[in-house]
Amino acid sequence: MIEIRDLAFRSIRIGHLLIPDGTTALIGANGSGKTTLLRLLAGLTPPDTGSITVDGMLPEPGCAGFVNEYPDRNALFSRFADELAAPLRFRHIPCEELEQRVKEAAATAGLERQLERTMDTLSGGEKVLAALLSALISSPETLILDEFDSHLDYDSLVLAENLISSSGARRVIRCTQNMDLAAQYGRVIVLHRGRVLRAGSPEEVFPALEETCCYPFSWRAFR
Amino acid sequence: MKLSLSAVEWHAGSWKFRADATFTPGVHLVSGRVGSGKTTLALLSARQLQPDAGTVVCEDIRSCTLSFQYPEYHITGSTLYEEAESYGVDPFAACARAGLAGRDEEDPFRLSRGELKWFQLTCLLMRRWDLLILDEPFSALDCRGKLAVCRAIEENRGGIVLVSTHEQYILPKTDFLWEMMSGELTLRGTLPDAISTWESAPALVRRLREQGVLPANLTRDDILEAACRMHE
Repeated sequence: MIEIRDLAFRSIRIGHLLIPDGTTALIGANGSGKTTLLRLLAGLTPPDTGSITVDGMLPEPGCAGFVNEYPDRNALFSRFADELAAPLRFRHIPCEELEQRVKEAAATAGLERQLERTMDTLSGGEKVLAALLSALISSPETLILDEFDSHLDYDSLVLAENLISSSGARRVIRCTQNMDLAAQYGRVIVLHRGRVLRAGSPEEVFPALEETCCYPFSWRAFR
Repeated sequence: MKLSLSAVEWHAGSWKFRADATFTPGVHLVSGRVGSGKTTLALLSARQLQPDAGTVVCEDIRSCTLSFQYPEYHITGSTLYEEAESYGVDPFAACARAGLAGRDEEDPFRLSRGELKWFQLTCLLMRRWDLLILDEPFSALDCRGKLAVCRAIEENRGGIVLVSTHEQYILPKTDFLWEMMSGELTLRGTLPDAISTWESAPALVRRLREQGVLPANLTRDDILEAACRMHE
């Protein structure tokens, strides 16, 4: 469980919020503060005031798997194989095991042939998948995903969702502009100008958005 | 007005791009899996990349622009005002249209990704283009931004518009449907017939197709109308 108390940072103002384990979608208009909040939750940015705790502890940078919305900013290394191996190298995993796990991870996304390529030669979608694999390879308990899905075609999105759901992460928090995807998550948080407008299950949150374009389109078309 | 790619080939290692295509005025939607070659097509069409074989010929095209997938690649100004001026559009009008009224002195890199994308596309779409190439215009935009971009694309009628996208739910009215498959460009045809053979169709379109219902086009209204027919 993540608990936020009296949080203030830039435009973010949250008095008290509990984010239970499981899957949580963070939604809101462009500029509502989603990325800022995700970075705070990942421990990448300390809040000015207030606290965020994960199971009662302060989040440590590097413990959560994090996929940045700017795929080019994820990469630390030029070669895809090195980028994928980095989280394991930082944990001093033996070379033989490391190489095996890198090959297996790349194969789960059909990217094994791209392992020797440099990151800048991957397509936009491939960079996003590479960042996701890199976040997953160390089996983090918390996975934080910043709108990576808008760079993926439908089949690649299904693949990515399977990778996420089979990752074993206790909690997945993502922001997305795909409301149909958000509607499949256990919990939805609506952020508006840095404040939590609504939080609850999709069935509790989305009916209030029915008159807006934020209402899941498949609900509108098929329900 | 015509853009022709004749027997075009381009290589990156063992990966090969191939296209033999003619783009006439109208909205051309290009879909395909990640890494299939959509950005390569955009770059070749905008002559930002030289083909290894074949020719790219523009006929009667006097103005052309390319919008990159990542908006930060476009930034040249240190404020939104300067950035809008670099496109030759009114900075105050551009800020207002992109929902950023009164923020013209802000550094573009202080905006969120979605705000920056909408601002960059707004600047671009405030002008008319004979050839407008948009690589993933909908990524990072919220639904209001996506709908505004669709409206602007439809207002650019008369020119050639190439839209490469993975967007699943908010698409412009489309004249021609193309698909990139492992580096090869294929014309699926005009709407609605092209939907029958569209391999990388969005989830809702697949669902309708499986029920034997084809939407007349790809806009939200078209999808809703087709869904109503499915329920009848």
